[in-house]
Amino acid sequence: MTKNEKKSLNQFLAEWKLFIYNPTTGEFLGRTAKSWGLILLFYLVFYGFLAALFSFTMWVMLQTLNDEVPKYRDQIPSPGLMVFPKPVTALEYTFHMSDPTSYAGYIADLKKFLKPYTLEEQKNLTACPDGALFEQKGPVYVACQFPLLLLQACSGMSDPDFGYSKGKPCILVKMNRIIGLKPEGVPRIDCVLKNEDQTNITTYPYNGIIDLKYFPYYGKKLHVGYLQPLVAVQVTLAPNSAEKEVTVECKIDGSPNLKSQDDRDKFLGRVVFKITAHA
Amino acid sequence: MELGWKKGAAAPQGQNPRQIPIKGPKPSKKKMKRKKKKRDTEELKKEVVMDDHKLTLEELSTKYSVNLTTGHSHQRAKEILIRDGPNTLTPPPTTPEWVKFCKQLFGGFSLLLWTGAILCFVAYGIQIYFNEEPAKDNLYLSIVLTVVVVITSCFSYYQEAKSSKIMESFKNMVPQQALVIREGEKLQINVQDVVLGDLVEIKGGDRIPADLRLISARGCKVDNSSLTGESEPQSRSTDFTHENPLETRNICFFSTNCVEGTARGIVIATGDSTVMGRIASLTSGLEVGQTPIAAEIEHFIRLITVVAVFLGVTFFVLSLLLGYGWLEAIIFLIGIIVANVPEGLLATVTVCLTLTAKRMAKKNCLVKNLEAVETLGSTSTICSDKTGTLTQNRMIVAHMWFDETVYEVDTSEEQTGKTFANNSDTWFILAQIAGLCNRADFKPNQETLPIAKRATTGDASESALLKFIEQSYSSVAEMRKKNPKVAEIPFNSTNKYQMSIHFREDSSQTHVLMMKGAPERILEFCSTFLLHGQEYSMDNELKEDFQNAYLELGGLGERVLGFCFLNLPSSFSKGFPFNTDEINFPMDNLCFVGLISMIDPPRTTVPDAVNKCRSAGIKVIMVTGDHPITAEAIAKRVGIISENTETAEEVAARLRIPVSKVNPRDAKAIVVHGSQLKDLHSEQLDQILRNHTEIVFARTSPQQKLIIVEGCQRLGAIVAVTGDGVNDSPALKKADIGIAMGISGSDVSKQAADMILLDDNFASIVTGVEEGRLIFDNLKKSIMYTLTSNIPEITPFLVFIILGIPLPLGTITILCIDLGTDMVPAISLAYESAESDIMKRRPRNPKMDKLVNRRLISMAYGQIGMIQAVAGFFTYFVIMAENGFRPIDLLGIRLYWEDKFLNDLEDSYGQQWTYEQRKVVEFTCQTAFFVTIVLVQWADLIVSKTRRNSVFQQGMRNKILIFGILEETFLAAFLSYTPGMDVALRMYPLKISWWFCALPYSILIFVYDEIRKLLIRQRPGGWVERETYY
Repeated sequence: MTKNEKKSLNQFLAEWKLFIYNPTTGEFLGRTAKSWGLILLFYLVFYGFLAALFSFTMWVMLQTLNDEVPKYRDQIPSPGLMVFPKPVTALEYTFHMSDPTSYAGYIADLKKFLKPYTLEEQKNLTACPDGALFEQKGPVYVACQFPLLLLQACSGMSDPDFGYSKGKPCILVKMNRIIGLKPEGVPRIDCVLKNEDQTNITTYPYNGIIDLKYFPYYGKKLHVGYLQPLVAVQVTLAPNSAEKEVTVECKIDGSPNLKSQDDRDKFLGRVVFKITAHA
Repeated sequence: MELGWKKGAAAPQGQNPRQIPIKGPKPSKKKMKRKKKKRDTEELKKEVVMDDHKLTLEELSTKYSVNLTTGHSHQRAKEILIRDGPNTLTPPPTTPEWVKFCKQLFGGFSLLLWTGAILCFVAYGIQIYFNEEPAKDNLYLSIVLTVVVVITSCFSYYQEAKSSKIMESFKNMVPQQALVIREGEKLQINVQDVVLGDLVEIKGGDRIPADLRLISARGCKVDNSSLTGESEPQSRSTDFTHENPLETRNICFFSTNCVEGTARGIVIATGDSTVMGRIASLTSGLEVGQTPIAAEIEHFIRLITVVAVFLGVTFFVLSLLLGYGWLEAIIFLIGIIVANVPEGLLATVTVCLTLTAKRMAKKNCLVKNLEAVETLGSTSTICSDKTGTLTQNRMIVAHMWFDETVYEVDTSEEQTGKTFANNSDTWFILAQIAGLCNRADFKPNQETLPIAKRATTGDASESALLKFIEQSYSSVAEMRKKNPKVAEIPFNSTNKYQMSIHFREDSSQTHVLMMKGAPERILEFCSTFLLHGQEYSMDNELKEDFQNAYLELGGLGERVLGFCFLNLPSSFSKGFPFNTDEINFPMDNLCFVGLISMIDPPRTTVPDAVNKCRSAGIKVIMVTGDHPITAEAIAKRVGIISENTETAEEVAARLRIPVSKVNPRDAKAIVVHGSQLKDLHSEQLDQILRNHTEIVFARTSPQQKLIIVEGCQRLGAIVAVTGDGVNDSPALKKADIGIAMGISGSDVSKQAADMILLDDNFASIVTGVEEGRLIFDNLKKSIMYTLTSNIPEITPFLVFIILGIPLPLGTITILCIDLGTDMVPAISLAYESAESDIMKRRPRNPKMDKLVNRRLISMAYGQIGMIQAVAGFFTYFVIMAENGFRPIDLLGIRLYWEDKFLNDLEDSYGQQWTYEQRKVVEFTCQTAFFVTIVLVQWADLIVSKTRRNSVFQQGMRNKILIFGILEETFLAAFLSYTPGMDVALRMYPLKISWWFCALPYSILIFVYDEIRKLLIRQRPGGWVERETYY
C-alpha cells in the first residue's frame, strides 16, 4: 500500500482530460454516450413517476379540502392587532409636518385602504343591527356596512391629510380576520401612550368600540364584500416642541375570549408603534 | 476516532532497498536528515554483517585490544563507555498522549465536520456583520458540530487507549546485572555499563547482556526463540560452525536467554548495534501506510465534498440569477455545503467499529487500533509464523518405531487418557529407557494439572518424552525411584548421545546402561536389536528398515531419537564406581530398541482455519525461522501446502527429471530457504509471490520477513502478519495488520502489532476476517442509510431558496434527525447478519470495491433520498393547506412570511395571521417534515438491511434494528408531543392524520427497492446491478 506518488501537475491534468473525454473508449465524464443516455433516461422516468405520484397525492389532498373554510383553525384562536398604514421599517412612523412629501405615502395608503369604505362602495351592503353578533345561515352571506363617518376626524373626509400636517396623525388599528370568530362582551381597542402624558390620544369610533355585528366572518369566498371594522387612533402631539417621539400601545379590551397578553406573540390582541414627528 | 488518520505518514519505499540517495547540489539540512534516516532504515533492512565468529581468538584479542584472560582495564572500559554510550536500546519514540488525542480530533472524518463548523461560524459572522439580529441557526450548528467532533474524538481516544496500554517492551528485555572480567577480577556491573570487548561470563538462567563471541563454553545452551523463532534451545560452543552469524554456534545474542551451562565470551556489540538492537530500531523506524478503512473514508470524504460543492455552487449561481443579493447567496452556499455534512456518521462509524472490536475481543481477537477491525476483512494475504501460531509450541511425541512398525501417537491438544497403548515387551523397554535416560522432570506442586499442561525442567524433547511416558506408561518418578541413576554422560553436540546407568534391585544383572541420541549414532553402538521382547543380532534387513523408518519420520519434519540399552554383566555389583570420564564399563554391542520422533504439532483447529482462509480467497504464506523440512511438513499438515499440489522438487522426483526442467506452472507450491531469499532481487521475489499459490519461507531472518511483507504489498495485497517473537516485530509493524500472540508473544511483538490473538490460535484470525468483512458490508449499509436522509434535509432549503416558500425543515430538526433519530437505527445495521457466506467470496479489491462509491451516492441521493424528500414536501403542503395556506399561495410568499412586522398576512381563505402565529404553523410543518423523514427512514432502514437479497430472505431477526425503529419513532413522538418542546426546540404537536402522509412513500421505497434487488438477483451483471448495486 505504498503511495509513492506525488503526481506531477501534468499527469494530473492529463488524467482529468482523460476523465472528461476518453477518446479510446468514447467515454465522456467516465461514461459512454449510451451509458449516459441510459442513466439519464432512467432518471427521467424515475423522476417523472415520482412527480406523477406527488401530483396525485397532492390532488387527493386538495380534494379533501373545503373551499370555504380551512380544515383547521386551531392555530389562530385569537386575532392579532395590526396598524395601518404599515411603515416600511418596523412600526415606526416618521414624518415632517412641514414637508408633505414625508407623509404623502401614508396618506396615499390610507386613502387606498379606505376606498372600500366610502359610501358609494357600501351601497350594496346591509345595515346590520348594532351591538349583537350577526350570524348568518347562508347560502348567501351579506356584509355589514361600516360607515366611514364613524372614524370622524380620521375618516379623511374633513381632513384629507389625516391630521399629519397638523401634528395629529391618524393611524388605523384593525383586528385580524378570523373565520368564525365570535368575540364575547364588548370588544374595544384601548390605546395608551407609554411614558408620556402631555400628548393626548383620541380613538374613533368613540371609546374604540368594535361593534359585534361585524362578527362572525365567513371567509373570503362566502363573505363577499366583508368590511373589517376599524378603529382610528389620533395622537395629538404637543404643538410647540420641534421634535416629538411617542410610543403608543393599543390592546383589545372588554372581550374575555380575545387574548391581549402573550409572551411570545407581541401582536396577539395588541400592537405597539412609535411616532416621530418633526416640525 | 482515528478514522482517516494514517498509521503513520506513507513511507517512501524505494523499489531497491539498497539504493543510496544521490546527493543533490546543496541539499538543505532537513532534507539531508530525512535522507539519512531513510538510509538508516534501508541499512537496517540488510542482513547482519559480522565476521567476529570467523576470527580466531588472537584476532579477536587484537581487534578489540583486550586481554582474553584479564579483560579491559577500568580506565579503558570507561573510555569505551564514553565513546559508545551505555549498553541499552534506544526506546522507540513514543507519541505523546496529546498528539494522539489531536490525531483523533483532527483526523480524516473529523476534518470534514470541522470544516463544516468553521463555515457555519463564518456564515454567522457575515450575518452578524450585516444584520443586527440574525437567526442563530448557524451559530448553533457550528457549536453542535464542534461538540460532536470533540465527543466522538474523546470516545474513540478512550477506546483505543484502553486496548493499547503502553507496553514497556524493549526496556524489560535488558538484564539488570552482568558478570564481567576487568583487570583479571570478576565484577558484577550494571548491564548498561558493559562495553565492547568486555569479557562476560554467563550461566544458566542469565539473560545475555550483549552480543557475545564465546571463548569458552561448558554445556551451554541458549534460547534464541525471541530472535529466530526456533523453539529449541541451541547449544553453544566456541566452534565456528556456520557462515551465517545467526546460525553459528559461537555467538550469543543480546537479550536471549542462557538456558543451561556456563560460558565466557567477548562482547562484540552493545546497545543498538546488537542484532536485537538493530531489529528494535528497524521496527521503530518503520513507517507504515494508511489503513484500508482510512483510505475508504478519505475516498468517501472526497465524494461527499464533490457533491456538496457541486450543489452549493449550482444553487449559489441560481440564487444570484433569482435576484438574491451576494451576501444572501454566500450564506446559502455555505448552508448547502454544510447541510451535506452527515453530522451523525462519524459517531455511527466509530460506534460500529467499536462494537465489532468488542465482539472480536470476545472471540479472542483484541484490536488495538479501531480501524484495524476492518483491515482483517480486506486482507488478501496472511503471512503466518509457524511456531506457536500454527503449532502448539511444545514438543510432543508423534511417532514411534519399534518391532519393525511405525506407531502413531495422538498429538491433538486435548490429551487426556492414554495416548498410546501396546503390549509388546519392546514398548515397555523403550518406555523405560525414555523415562530413565532423561534429565527432564516435572516442576513440583502441579499434581492436579493434566499431564500435558504441567511445567517441566529440561529441554523440549526430553520434556516431551517425560510427559509421553508419564501419560502412556507409568509414573516416571516411581520408575526413577526404583532404578536410581548411578552414572550419566549428558548429551552434547559432539557425541550426540546421552547415556545413563541405572541400578536395578529386582534383577540378577544389577545395572543397566541406557542410551538415547541421534539414531545413526545409536545404531553404531548396537550389535543386536529387540523384536517383540526378543534380542536378535543385527542384520542388513533391520538396518534397511531402520533407514526407511528414519527417513520417513525425518521427512515428516520430526526430530527422531534412537534408543538402546545394555544389561551390564553381574560383575558390576552394587556400589561399583562408574567413571564417565575414563570409561570403566562396556559401551558397545548394545541392543537397539526403537525410535521415537517428536514434533511441535499443529493446533487442531488450524487445518480447518487455513482451509477457510483459502476458500475466502486469502493466500496463506508460512514465514518461519525454522528448518525447511519441518516447515514443509507442518505446512502440509495444516494445509498451507495442500494435498494435491507439489513443489518443484516433488514434481522433479515424480517425473524423474532435474528440478531445473520442471515447468514452473506445475509446481504451485514452493519452499524458499532464507539463504536463497537473500540473493533474490525484488523482481524475483515478486515472481515467486505471484506465481505460486502455496508458499513456505523457511530459515528467514527478521529482515527477510519484512522484505516478504513488502513484496506482497508491492503486488497490491493487503497483508496480515502473525508472529510472536521479537524477530517478527518489523514485519508486524510493516504489515497492514500485525497480529501478535497474546500468550506466547513477546511484549515487543504485541506493541508492534495492531491486533492481539488472546488465545494464540490461528483459527481466531478466521473469525477476525469474518467480522472484518461483515463490518465492511454493514458499514456500507449504515452509510447508505445515513446518507439517504441527507436529501430530504437539503432539498427543503433549496426549495426555500428557489420557490420562496416558508422553510420546510430547519436546522434544529435536521440535527434531531442526524444526531437523534437516525443514530440508533444506523448503528443497529452493524448487528445485521451476513447476506451470504462472506467466507466464500474473494477478499475485496481495494482499488475497485469502495466503501462508498458512485452507485451508493446515486441510490442514496438520487433515488431513495428523492422519494423521501417528496414525502416530506407532501406532508408540508398538507399541513399548510389544512391550516389555510394553499400550495399555490405559498409560492413566493417568503419575504412577507419572514417580515416580523407584517402581522396581518392573509391566507387563502381571507384570514389574517400574525408573524408568530404563522411561525407556529411553519414550525409545526417542520416537525411534521421531521416525523415524515423518520417514517420514510423506517422503510429505508429495512431496505438497507440487504444489498442483494430480499428482506423476506434476510428476515427481521436483528433485534437491535427493531429496537432502533421503535426508538426513533418514540423519540420523534417525544420531541413532538412533550410539553415545553415548543419553547426548547420549537417543535409542535402534530395531528394524528399528519403521521400518515408519509405512508404511501414508505411503501413506495420498500416496493421500489425490492424490485430493484429482484432485478439484481435475476440478472447478474445486468444494467440494474451495474448502476445500482452499491
